[in-house]
Amino acid sequence: MNKDYILGVFKDEESLVSAFDKVKEKGVLPLEVYTPYPVHEILEGMGNKTRITYAAFFYGVFVAIGILSFLTYAASISWSLNYGGKPFNSFPSFIVVTIVATILSITILTLLTFSIRSKIFPGKVPEIYHERATDDRFVMVIDKKSMGANTEAINSIITEYGEIE
Amino acid sequence: MKDQITISKNFKLLTYILIGIGVVTFALGFVFDAKRTWANYLLNNYYFLSIAIGAAFFGSIQYITNSGWSAAFKRIPEAMAAYIPFAGIFFLIMFFGMHSIFEWTHDEVLQHDELIQHKSPYLNVPFFFIRVIVFFAAWTILSKVLRKFSLKEDEVGGLHYFHKSELYSKIFIFVIAITFTLFAVDMLLSLDPHWFSTLFAAKSFIAAFLHGSTIIALIVIILNRTGNFDILNRSHLHDFTRYIFMTSIVWGYFNFAEFMLIWYGNIPEETVWFVERWQGAYKILFFANIILNWAIPFFVLMPRKTSRSKLIIFPVIILLMIGQYTELYYIIWPNVVHESKFGLLEIGAFLGYAGIFSLVVSTWLAKASLVPKNHPYLQESLHHHF
Repeated sequence: MNKDYILGVFKDEESLVSAFDKVKEKGVLPLEVYTPYPVHEILEGMGNKTRITYAAFFYGVFVAIGILSFLTYAASISWSLNYGGKPFNSFPSFIVVTIVATILSITILTLLTFSIRSKIFPGKVPEIYHERATDDRFVMVIDKKSMGANTEAINSIITEYGEIE
Repeated sequence: MKDQITISKNFKLLTYILIGIGVVTFALGFVFDAKRTWANYLLNNYYFLSIAIGAAFFGSIQYITNSGWSAAFKRIPEAMAAYIPFAGIFFLIMFFGMHSIFEWTHDEVLQHDELIQHKSPYLNVPFFFIRVIVFFAAWTILSKVLRKFSLKEDEVGGLHYFHKSELYSKIFIFVIAITFTLFAVDMLLSLDPHWFSTLFAAKSFIAAFLHGSTIIALIVIILNRTGNFDILNRSHLHDFTRYIFMTSIVWGYFNFAEFMLIWYGNIPEETVWFVERWQGAYKILFFANIILNWAIPFFVLMPRKTSRSKLIIFPVIILLMIGQYTELYYIIWPNVVHESKFGLLEIGAFLGYAGIFSLVVSTWLAKASLVPKNHPYLQESLHHHF
């Protein structure tokens, strides 16, 4: 096990949140917290505001405009064909294609953005801090360097609510 | 905090004035332009009934999904559902205006029109009113039963009445889904008996749910303004706007699906309805409907910040109220009045109904404690936060 950090392992949400708050009071921000489900206090406390929703929205806007203009260009300017007497620019029927293709593009582009930002790629060796971190344990990873003079205090906080591993 | 709200004298006076305006408007309207007045009568009846039904549906959904956040607000859908029997009486009075409103009641049309003859076993005046009575009886009984359980729960407490409410809510949503779609077919689709649209009833139903949720949010915000709902926080507001946002998307989807398939299929029986509505003021209303009921709520309520701010939700609610009016106007007017008239008659009629609706809802709100006392999820609702 890498010894640059210590792990606080907790059995339930309340003890994790109480320990997290006390550790933060000491001026130490944990490196990462792993929980089986999203915990609101931790999301706020870690201070990582996600901007992926904005990315997804702008992908949606650009893709929708792009697909609509491509369909209009293809169907009415570049290669206009008469389908059952419909006008070349049959706008209402383009919308269905646009919606479906926009959803697909947003999904794929957002997934790619997320993977690039958090440096996940196929074949990456996973960093598993604790075997039960994705199971039923709440795990707090604290960098030893960041603890500094508070090491003793933080250790006692963690052992009060959970265990150090 | 007080348990029960007291209705201020000014508010009561205002509702009486509004009702007075409505009565005068209708009296003058029937003398000068009976057809247009009956169209107004149908529109406003349907408008406020759809809100009450939407609210009743909203209340039942909260029970079925075991929602915690809405427990403190459940008196508002209950009070709005109390309007249903009043709407029933108004719809029965429509008996005298059937000839002005519905083409299929005319004997001379019936003799020469094979399609209407074919539909006449379902579309005839006696069976029409039997349906109205059955539907309103079902809605009234079920909403009164749910209200009774809710009041009993305040006195007795425990989980007994909660489980019972849950069971009756399950029955209620099926009853509303079936009867209200049939009701929308009777009242709106049969205005043009030559037109076919299978999605129309579902669209009307989701419009009722959308505008019902909207008015619930409006009443909550108004009560909060007057200092009766101190417990309202931004998370509650976010949940109310989620309902508006979600139903608005479904409405937009249905509206577009209906139009797109009819446009693409291009069958005369189906396009006739839209051809009539593709000229003059109706063409503007066609786009106004989409903008008011879908585009504005969709783009304005999408960000997290705007969907939690009373200052932004309030105008959206007002626009949605106008949206339901324009939608009904767009459906009813071309078939009944045949020209797009809008004037003092429409405004007066709407104000009159708004007065009755506010009077009924506020009276029923004042009858019980505003925040339920022994609801099992009450604490969760009071401390709702996300």
